[in-house]
Amino acid sequence: MPVPEIFVTFYEVFMQTYKGFLKAGLLTIEITAIAVVIGTVLGVIFALMKISNSKILQTIANLYITLIRGTPLIVQIMFLYFGITSIIVLENFWAGAIALGIHNGAYIAEIFRGSIQGIDRGQREASLALGMNSSQTMRRIVFPQALRRAIPPLGNQFIITLKDSSLVYVIGVSELFGLANRVAASNFKQFETFLVVGLYYLILVLIFTALLKWYENKLDVDK
Amino acid sequence: MIKANNVHKYFGKLEVLKGIDMEVHPGEVVVLVGVSGSGKSTLLRCLNFLELTNEGTITIDGKKVNQKKDNLAKVRAEVGMVFQHFNLFPHKTVLENVMEAPLMVKKMEKSKVKTMALDILEKVGLSDKADVYPNKLSGGQKQRVAIARALAMEPKALLFDEPTSALDPELVGEVLQVMKDLANEGMTMVVVTHEMKFAKEVADRVIMLNEGVIIEDADPDTFFNHSKNERTRQFLEMVNV
Repeated sequence: MPVPEIFVTFYEVFMQTYKGFLKAGLLTIEITAIAVVIGTVLGVIFALMKISNSKILQTIANLYITLIRGTPLIVQIMFLYFGITSIIVLENFWAGAIALGIHNGAYIAEIFRGSIQGIDRGQREASLALGMNSSQTMRRIVFPQALRRAIPPLGNQFIITLKDSSLVYVIGVSELFGLANRVAASNFKQFETFLVVGLYYLILVLIFTALLKWYENKLDVDK
Repeated sequence: MIKANNVHKYFGKLEVLKGIDMEVHPGEVVVLVGVSGSGKSTLLRCLNFLELTNEGTITIDGKKVNQKKDNLAKVRAEVGMVFQHFNLFPHKTVLENVMEAPLMVKKMEKSKVKTMALDILEKVGLSDKADVYPNKLSGGQKQRVAIARALAMEPKALLFDEPTSALDPELVGEVLQVMKDLANEGMTMVVVTHEMKFAKEVADRVIMLNEGVIIEDADPDTFFNHSKNERTRQFLEMVNV
């Protein structure tokens, strides 16, 4: 029985493109990693602002979260890219990574806020009663516990980030999806090409999921 | 040591404390009793500024505390507190729980803090549990660690908020024993509890709260055997002593 045509062309496309996709995959990982770092830092800052006693800080944080959650990521990427590059010279790679990071910050802020507020009030009281001040209490007692709780939803958010990084193709970054677009446009084998790129994303997500699971188990054992 | 003057506390419109005047002298053990909702826990929390009073003043060791201007962390560092639900830090070992505040608040040298913490754990009979996480301990052990954690700050007084109420009956004794030892060493203590036996044996004074007012303040013998107050006698009948 002959091998179906689709497998042959899939194999051909795979072999012709894998070198390029490995490079592009690295770019996807880099953009995701940068976005995750920026998003986590922003997330912590805005979560703390949101639970602070200051009305001004709360309003700023709410504004940020509402704007980000209320508009599509692709619009944010374009907006930021053309906004920033009209002021300073910035590679589209960095513009994309920063936009993705700022986008993530809003979602991660909500994750941290939820997990901080989920820590038993008694923890904070016990810490204060020992004479620790508010910032020591947050830093040493409440936040480490909240972080543990935040890890499953954070992992989820990081997977979303990995997949969302495909959207930076609109500003011409040759990460996985950007490259797939170009390849498909030149070899006219759209179906096989997007099948290949889908596979790459799936593999990345599965690797990351496994790492996450391993880390969660490790934390459980430690405690 | 601790003095409350005309303390009022509201939760919304509900007045929980209606003008409390009390004084705890150095080395004294004062037991606060009353039915639930009488305000005894709130009063205790006010003495450590976990709740801020709406009116009146609290004086700690001769210094009138200004709730708005003073550094409350500094004031709290001098008065320890033990909670009903222990509130140990679950992400830290027993030893780390005890060492945390001296390290962070007093900025003491780590090796010194460790020696001191181990001494205190020895005193509460838990030196073998130093490297264990709190979730591996029984309720009684948890509460003894919580007491050790408070003692590590070398407080001038200790407040206990129903320290044995969350314990299985057979574990109450070990916690009360530690508290008795502390009392015998001259620690100033204010204890909210339903353990009337402890009040009888250890307290220098028993204070009865009812609906936010102190209705009796007497030595244990008078309180338990010769009270003239109708509410006190009803209360004692209810708790069966």
